[in-house]
Amino acid sequence: MFELFVLLLKVGFVLNIALVLGSLCTWLERKGSALIQDRVGANRAGAFVESDRWYLKPVLPLVRMMGWLGVINTLLCDSLKGLWKEDFVPEGTSKFLHAVAPIIAVMPIMLAFAVLPLAPDFTVFGYYIHPRVAPIDAGLLFVLAMGSVAVYGVAIAGWTGNNKFSLLGSLRAAAQMISYELPMGMVFVALIVVYGTLDVYSIVEQQGELIWGFVPKWGVFVQPVGFVVLLLAGMAETKRGPFDLPEAESELAAGYFTEYSGMKFLLFWLGEFCEIALFALLLALLFFGGWQIPWVRLPEGVWWAALIGHVVLMTKVVFFCLLQIVIRWTLPRFRYDQLMNLGWKMLLPISLLNLVITAIVKVLA
Amino acid sequence: MESMLTYVALSMVLFVIGAIGVCLRRNAIVVFMCIEMMLNAVNLAFVAFSKLHGNLDGQVAVFFVMVIAAAESAIGLAIILSVFRTFESVETTDAGQLKW
Amino acid sequence: MNVISFLTGVCAVVSAIGVVSLRNPLYSAFALVINLLAMAGLYAALDAHFLAVSQVVVYAGAIMVLVLFVLMLLNLKSESGRRLGFVRSALALVIGCVVVMSALPPVVSHFSSMSQTTLSDNMRNSVGTVKAVGQELYTNYVAQFELASLVLLIGIVGAVMLAKRKSVVLAPRPGGLVGGSK
Repeated sequence: MFELFVLLLKVGFVLNIALVLGSLCTWLERKGSALIQDRVGANRAGAFVESDRWYLKPVLPLVRMMGWLGVINTLLCDSLKGLWKEDFVPEGTSKFLHAVAPIIAVMPIMLAFAVLPLAPDFTVFGYYIHPRVAPIDAGLLFVLAMGSVAVYGVAIAGWTGNNKFSLLGSLRAAAQMISYELPMGMVFVALIVVYGTLDVYSIVEQQGELIWGFVPKWGVFVQPVGFVVLLLAGMAETKRGPFDLPEAESELAAGYFTEYSGMKFLLFWLGEFCEIALFALLLALLFFGGWQIPWVRLPEGVWWAALIGHVVLMTKVVFFCLLQIVIRWTLPRFRYDQLMNLGWKMLLPISLLNLVITAIVKVLA
Repeated sequence: MESMLTYVALSMVLFVIGAIGVCLRRNAIVVFMCIEMMLNAVNLAFVAFSKLHGNLDGQVAVFFVMVIAAAESAIGLAIILSVFRTFESVETTDAGQLKW
Repeated sequence: MNVISFLTGVCAVVSAIGVVSLRNPLYSAFALVINLLAMAGLYAALDAHFLAVSQVVVYAGAIMVLVLFVLMLLNLKSESGRRLGFVRSALALVIGCVVVMSALPPVVSHFSSMSQTTLSDNMRNSVGTVKAVGQELYTNYVAQFELASLVLLIGIVGAVMLAKRKSVVLAPRPGGLVGGSK
């Protein structure tokens, strides 16, 4: 019974982190893009709010500051607008599939958060807690599997639009996603060869060791090519960054979610931002030491060490989210054939070569 | 063990449903999908027997079945595409030019 | 067999019936995806973890996406012509039940002849972690593994060759169309 309670707490915690990171990315995107493009961005909603009630007066300066930063605009107003818009289903297609497609697009992302650890193990009040919802043996492979299932949301979404723009956009997006899963899988295999396990928790733990005495065995030092390939493949998988031709706001009339409005559209958006957070979390866990500060060894199993580790991990995750957002708003987008060229003719051979070299070095050393 | 028996019975039921689908459906792609379903039913039987006998040979067999099914699906769908280009339809009753 | 794997099995059977009986081929494809995911769940219940995740990656994530691509690009209507009669469907159902029930007795007798202790020992030894399956594959079955990769290569090349459009050369040759060298 206690196990069930702890499991529910963990599920709530991980879901909370995923959704909070997704919303944070939404706000970072809106305000960050504004600052990159040398404009102000959203700063009106809630920035001029005044009141005479005594219990609101201490809170109002904080609300005004958040409104000026654009937080209230992005997080409150956009959500309410999405909830209250008319939900338009195109005729001639199945209503059920139109409703189910956003769910299929978002659910694998949330499921992939379940196998990733968010803090080291700790013991509190005599109970041992392992902060991962599902300690599956094949953890890294499960993330890849969830990336494969997320293709269906895109494909079904484009098909239920019942017009050529949506169908073309969704087929292009699905082809892009499955093409970039291959270099991602090869990078995961190279990481498995180096660290010897599929379990993300023990990969993070092994990154605490030192190679040659002074360099921490972080993934980015052991597999630099793998880091670059995973960054590119991850951005292409989430259809972000310079690889966002399927969305192509200025070209394909919003691509595969042309026919979506209201909360379903926001669900696609939220799924995309949660996927940014997922890839940031993967990069931080696999390549940058996870919750470990370099050269600092905190005592194991203590609750405040776990808290510090969690805060360090979240800092790294936010840094990688920012990196993805900055890359998206700085680079122009690829044409579709350039995108496929990059995936099949450049990233796949590079990741295969990386795998071969890693295997040779591992056997010889 | 009764639970292993349930898995093998389930595998048989799925195999027979797939076989009925192959016999009754006329769309070539649906026939292909029913063949995939039959392969999956056999995979389930392999895994159940592997668990029953305590070694991993069954699971290795399932791995190879999956690999071969992947290769077969690529080539099968390429053939269906070629047939579609020639006959403008994927129904199996329409590709009957060799009937006397 | 606990409740969750029983429900997953029911889901697999229902979606299998959906594959066979839905008119629109795209809906059959979605039903098959649900069937494959249910089978992955059954593999996980049988302690074959690597196979469960491989099933999702390979079958549900790649093969069915390919089928979905072909279906969406071909833009097919539902099956035309007369629906299958009630007599034909009932006959199919009866023959199916006869086949299943005639194949069950040997399996039941095989199961009931194994002793309980060997059964529980065997079940503990066959956990299909990635490491265990990998060791089996690379030590006892390595020749078959290499042959399987060769088959995949042949599949890739064959599929590209089969699905390519035959290109007709329409550009005029340098030096004019009539005679002349080079």
